[in-house]
Amino acid sequence: MLAWLPSNEWTLEAAAHLLNRAAFGGSPSEIRSLHALGHANAVRSLLQAREDEDLFPAPEINPMEVLRPRADTMVPEDLAERRKMVQIKVREQTQELRMWWLQRMASTPYPAREKCVLFWHGHWATSIQKVNDPFLVMQQNQTLRAHALGAFTPFAKEMSRDPAMIRYLDLNSSKAGHPNENFARELMELFTLGEGQYSEQDIQEAARAFTGYRINPQTGGFVFGRKLHDTGAKTIFGRTGSFDGDATIDLITSKPQCAEFLSAKIWNFYAGQKPAAPLNQVLASEYRASGMQTGDFLERIFLSREFYSRKYRRSQIKSPVQWLVQTCKILERPLPDTKKTQGALEQLGQVLFAPPNVKGWDGGRAWISSSSLLLRYNFSGALVRDGASDAPDIEKILPAGASPHEACDLLSWRLYQAPMDPALREKTLHLLESNASTPAARRDIVHLLMSTPEFQLT
Amino acid sequence: MKHSLHTRRQFLRTSILGGALSWTVPAFLERTFFTLDAIAADSAIQSTTGKDGPILIVLQLAGGNDGLNTLVPFADDAYFRARPTLAIPAAETLRLNDALGLNPKLSGLKSLYDEGQLAILQGVGYPNPNRSHFRSTEIWHTASDSSVTEKYGWMGRYFDSCCKGEDPSVGVSIGSQPPQAFAAPEPRGITFSRPEQFRFDLKNTTDRTAADGFFRSVNEPDSEQMEGGSIGMLAGHAEGTGSALDFLQRTSLDAVMSSDKVAEIIKRTKPGASYPSNRLADSLNLVARLIGGGMPTRVYYIAQGGYDTHSNQIGAHTKLMEELNSSLTAFCADLKSQGHFDRILLMTFSEFGRRVAENASGGTDHGAAAPLFVLGGKVKPGLHGSTPSLTQLHDGDIIHRVDFRSVYATILAHWLKAPVEPILKGRFPLLPFV
Repeated sequence: MLAWLPSNEWTLEAAAHLLNRAAFGGSPSEIRSLHALGHANAVRSLLQAREDEDLFPAPEINPMEVLRPRADTMVPEDLAERRKMVQIKVREQTQELRMWWLQRMASTPYPAREKCVLFWHGHWATSIQKVNDPFLVMQQNQTLRAHALGAFTPFAKEMSRDPAMIRYLDLNSSKAGHPNENFARELMELFTLGEGQYSEQDIQEAARAFTGYRINPQTGGFVFGRKLHDTGAKTIFGRTGSFDGDATIDLITSKPQCAEFLSAKIWNFYAGQKPAAPLNQVLASEYRASGMQTGDFLERIFLSREFYSRKYRRSQIKSPVQWLVQTCKILERPLPDTKKTQGALEQLGQVLFAPPNVKGWDGGRAWISSSSLLLRYNFSGALVRDGASDAPDIEKILPAGASPHEACDLLSWRLYQAPMDPALREKTLHLLESNASTPAARRDIVHLLMSTPEFQLT
Repeated sequence: MKHSLHTRRQFLRTSILGGALSWTVPAFLERTFFTLDAIAADSAIQSTTGKDGPILIVLQLAGGNDGLNTLVPFADDAYFRARPTLAIPAAETLRLNDALGLNPKLSGLKSLYDEGQLAILQGVGYPNPNRSHFRSTEIWHTASDSSVTEKYGWMGRYFDSCCKGEDPSVGVSIGSQPPQAFAAPEPRGITFSRPEQFRFDLKNTTDRTAADGFFRSVNEPDSEQMEGGSIGMLAGHAEGTGSALDFLQRTSLDAVMSSDKVAEIIKRTKPGASYPSNRLADSLNLVARLIGGGMPTRVYYIAQGGYDTHSNQIGAHTKLMEELNSSLTAFCADLKSQGHFDRILLMTFSEFGRRVAENASGGTDHGAAAPLFVLGGKVKPGLHGSTPSLTQLHDGDIIHRVDFRSVYATILAHWLKAPVEPILKGRFPLLPFV
């Protein structure tokens, strides 16, 4: 079992580590408030926060299928016109959805849930590029939210019936006699067990169990095509029965490898490193003991001493979404406008609802290339300076009267939540001494300290 | 302190174990410092030159290109039986001989073929094919056996064994993430998609000189602490071994150096005029400018996505073939007019071909072996290898005739003049396409 963090190790820095990893970080005063709650209450406040139902009303959009033209009912010119209109709508609504979710991450009183939704989005990776219907994508996002901190097995069943997933992994063309293996393969390889934990036969048989899953074009909901479903006997993991999709998922999630695979992935997302085998065993048994309830499992992680160990602190490379949302939070500014926000995330390599493939984002060092690093440096400048009334209040971040040493402490804590490396501190002091008189010069200093390798870590 | 491009490059290439290490030298430099002697002594190091060395361009057709509708076996009844709706009629193909024709959209490639600048390698794959995109892409990128998971890429191992001490831009990938093919214990290579953004932007700062000085001192530690030749080559990206901070510092240094160079080249070259407007063409156009500008790059890596045609394949695949054809045609014309066509070798590959039989959704599922293209001024043109059988299949898929690592081995040995065995960790028969 994971040992608890002793209460004397619950420091301000530990609170910052928790807020950064469990959610999207926060300003110095938010970190202080979290710390003041005490460790156990801080963890509970994050995982059991509440959010009013109507705080983030979902964009009002409808299933796109209704608008899609039918070739037999239209003349070619109208058909082309209609197709174009639908594509524009898809693009606009997807943008709207992205901003809706990012705003929610940045301003909800329950950010730990959004962080977990982001984890699951990368896990059950589904892309608008193939799904091509913002309504379905929104619906999936709500499903992820409803189950993010709940039990995994019902979550997996719900995801197998999720219309965006059905379309993304070709379940909608899978029928008795002609099963499409795409979903069954990814279910085992990427969503539950990991490569090598099943045979080709297991996949072929499981594919038969998921035949008949369809989407209602009018409502965008799930329908089960009874006549398309293969009711015959299947042999999966050496067991034979007329398994349907749900029964197949029960077979999969009751394998011990499922908890091992998922607990390692969850740990990697939050702690920032893949667990070594002995730790993975401990984590898997914790996850199993919780009934694979992700919220309970996260509570165990966030209360554990291991999670706060030095080797995990400030060692995780921020994902682009984390980088953007956390930067806005620590600068106490709103997200930039839609165009800038989307542009930044696109170039930094993390477009929501459009993961590169069904494996999701690789994460970690893969976020960083020479170019993405320079882009982060340049976008930092925009976040520090842009947006008349939206620009951060520089007097709050770096007050005019602060001495160079005070200024260093303030900046260091706000930007890095840790003391500066001595060499960096010396250079920063020099810069502060030479010119920090005008607000514009102080913004330059904040920008430069964000344009560093150090700022990419959390 | 500012170095000119020339001196900084020289400075980084010369490997001298220096004396006084100041405490400000970042840990990653300190650690790599002691491996420098070994690197300097390595006689396998080849010097990079932007003007005359051979260049390899690797183009991934991501998603699994349908080889059968790319190089069409129009004389084989089995093809038409397996594909009642997707088969391309014999008359529509661009005939290469009595049995094979190119996809109708590949007219530019057909011209290259006729001019003796295109080699087509048939039936390329590997034993025990994996049908997962990710796993099979990984196998192609790392040149591993199907049963072995290998972390590092074949290009990464090439950079590692032959390009120590060279510019980080020895490998350039156009895109948002470095390909796994570049991964190495000491990776090199830079990745970007738009050159104008590949630059630290100082235009909104109040004091550009001060801001630039600070920025360089924290992101390019060589320019200040190591003034006076105290340290030479910076080895060790430390992927997987060093800390995340080490990795970021090294990448940051690479970024500053290479962005200076890219900016300089973009400033004095112009984009080619005749490229079509699509992402692949943009990538190839950029590569052509960098080649023309004398970038010291040996390997360019680019990709065209969208080949995972499980359903309604006809329209999608036709469009992809059209883009591939028009982009490559423009690129070859551009390089010919630059006079660099003889210096380049471009190979395409896809993680797998597609299943011989079409599926119920008007598409094709993941398959195995497929043909690939190699083009350039110095290729030995024509069809290479024998045409795979469409009746003797393995689980409905084409059985490979050529191991993809034979293609890599040939390129390494005959084109890049590199030792094959340490890079591919094995011996593979060489092929006569270059």
